[in-house]
Amino acid sequence: MSKKIDERIPANSGDGANFRQFNAVQSPWNKLMSYQDALHYASRFESVLSAAVAQAYRIIIPDYATRASEMCKEAYARLLQTGLDYPNDDGFGIHPFMCGSYPGALIGDKGDDALLMCGRCNDFGTYRCEKELDVCDWDIVGSELCRATTMSLQGQADATETRHRKGHKLDYLMVEAKGCGDRHCRIIAESREKYPAPEHELWQSFGPAVSDEYKKDTQEPDTVKESMMFREECDYRFVNGTNNETDSSNQMVNLSTAASLYMLPAIDNAVRLGYTTKEQAEWTKKCVLEAAGKALFGERYAIRACREWLGVPDEIGEDGRLLGGVIEMLLQSLVCAYEIEAFNENEVVYVIDRGGLAITGTQSLVEAHLYMWQGMVKTLVNAMWSVWEEDSPKGKMRIKIAKKIDKFM
Amino acid sequence: MYKNIFNKDEWKRAEHMAVRETAGWYLFTHQLMEVQGEDAAKFLDHIFPNPIANLAVGRDRYTTMLNEDGEIIDDVVVLRMDEDRYWVSTLYGTKADDWFYYHSDGFDVDTSEITEDWHMFAVQGPRSAEALDSVLAEGVSGLRFFEHKNDSIDGIDVIVNRGGFTGEKLGFEVYCAADDADAVEEAIAGAVSAVGGREITEFQVFAWTLPTEAGFYYMRDLNRTNPFEVGLEKNIDWDKDFIGKAALLKVKENGPAREMVGFEICDANEDYYIRSKQFGGPGEPVFIDGEEVGRVSKLVYSYVKNVNNGYILAKKGALRIGDRFTIHGTDCVVTEKRWL
Repeated sequence: MSKKIDERIPANSGDGANFRQFNAVQSPWNKLMSYQDALHYASRFESVLSAAVAQAYRIIIPDYATRASEMCKEAYARLLQTGLDYPNDDGFGIHPFMCGSYPGALIGDKGDDALLMCGRCNDFGTYRCEKELDVCDWDIVGSELCRATTMSLQGQADATETRHRKGHKLDYLMVEAKGCGDRHCRIIAESREKYPAPEHELWQSFGPAVSDEYKKDTQEPDTVKESMMFREECDYRFVNGTNNETDSSNQMVNLSTAASLYMLPAIDNAVRLGYTTKEQAEWTKKCVLEAAGKALFGERYAIRACREWLGVPDEIGEDGRLLGGVIEMLLQSLVCAYEIEAFNENEVVYVIDRGGLAITGTQSLVEAHLYMWQGMVKTLVNAMWSVWEEDSPKGKMRIKIAKKIDKFM
Repeated sequence: MYKNIFNKDEWKRAEHMAVRETAGWYLFTHQLMEVQGEDAAKFLDHIFPNPIANLAVGRDRYTTMLNEDGEIIDDVVVLRMDEDRYWVSTLYGTKADDWFYYHSDGFDVDTSEITEDWHMFAVQGPRSAEALDSVLAEGVSGLRFFEHKNDSIDGIDVIVNRGGFTGEKLGFEVYCAADDADAVEEAIAGAVSAVGGREITEFQVFAWTLPTEAGFYYMRDLNRTNPFEVGLEKNIDWDKDFIGKAALLKVKENGPAREMVGFEICDANEDYYIRSKQFGGPGEPVFIDGEEVGRVSKLVYSYVKNVNNGYILAKKGALRIGDRFTIHGTDCVVTEKRWL
């Protein structure tokens, strides 16, 4: 096979559009996509991957209550520990006098904006906080995730509480969830001292809230589609109520995913608890993710749309460069370093930085992507093509997209 | 529709009115920067637009802190502790630490954050002096506004500062070493309770409702504004150099483009849909004849006047006192920016 790399567009392409200040991603055929658009596409892809991992988790633990409970306990414990180990009060605008667990709402608020989950904080006080989301790319993953994210916020909030003098504990509830079909996600955190209610298990964090009468529902015309950092009326900055301010300049680097933060750790936890073996869990993920990848381009119109999206010239036919283009757009959006070893009609070879693809340090996310890509190439190109790992240097994943015959595929 | 979360909340009302009618105490520890050295006064005069060098030992001064564009990036209280040692009370700690460091070239000055070493209890309200006099060795008699002194509570060293964030004529801040906070808190709680006061626990009361009645700003209100727009230009020392001076001189020459005005919701019992910047985000736009003339910075509740009150950052001259306008069907009126 040749190691030829097809001619590329000059690196300074896009200068006139000020892409040096606001990054763009660039397909192998010089289709430039704005930073903002690229992040949305990457977020959507990662959510689809996360939803597939969630299906694997559902196979491993079929009972809803057990599954949600284990996931919530794991997420709570992990984010509590993260909050204890890596305190960042200044980074969220949490002031020294903010005692109790209500400042946790500031962490959730900022995290939502960074994950493109736009909406608004409706209440923020010692005894009650409320956040309403209009958009959540994770809404396709499953309601177990909605519960677990709430408990991870509870963990962060409880960690914050330990760093201050005594205060009032809040019970964080997701009383509406887009993942359950609601128009909004709505977190209400309330103090049981002021709003008494019976105790509940971690996974039963869906409410109802006692202070439901104070719920502030935003009607459709007032909802938003973009985070503050992408809205002109916000001067392209996230600013919370304590004046913590962030622009979008490093947003791509910070995009985390439902799979990396919750679903893959949940499966690892299921292995630790004995619900399945490590090998069976890996096999289940592989099966589900390959199927999900195939489904992405199962219809011809999806292929046509993808070619248009990448700016693939008509003379490029069915070969591995199509998947290569998709992968490159994703890696650039995630600011994951990669080298192109070959890019031609016969083969495409990338050497990808594992650390960059293991978003939030979740190593198994690297293989999850590979499984998904293997499924995708079967429908985006054709069944003669495969993608596999081969001769990887340390810390890298060297993948090859080429034709391959395997009688046990 | 947004429910009116303030006017039916008796918990908030009770805490708020305790400060107005008797006394309230609360932990109000800010981030503290200590600035010391031969050039400390000169350095702070460079950092802040208001004069610092002429501050007497034992006195405090409120000032904004500007960036090079003349925009407010913080508002602080500077306390002169000794001849060459100052405290800067801020809610901008980490950033202030960097800001001071990167602007300290050429000054013989040491800056450090000492937040971890100190706690501060606010004791505010008409009977606050009486409460504190019952526990302090010397008491607060004769202490002037923005003046601080050393004292003790049950043998524990404290620094008592007269001032606060409530607009009360009588209000104090008691600084103590972090290790002494439990004992000092217990003494203060008992003293305030003895005069009929109580602990103020609700953030929305001590950060929003009390200060807003007095026309004070919580830092978010000042975000991306300049002193002329928010009425904080009066004590600027134009005879010295300070960061942001060149940009601010242009504003002074041309006049500010915006101004902060007060407003009220006409019907205090009405539920409303008006988003305000205190919760984050851009704030609700205010339209007059189809033109956006401002954004709602803050909307809370005055328990003294029993009215929803707040601030709008508006185009200069677009909203005058008495003007009426509607936001999402709710009638509002422009007012003075003070409710006490």
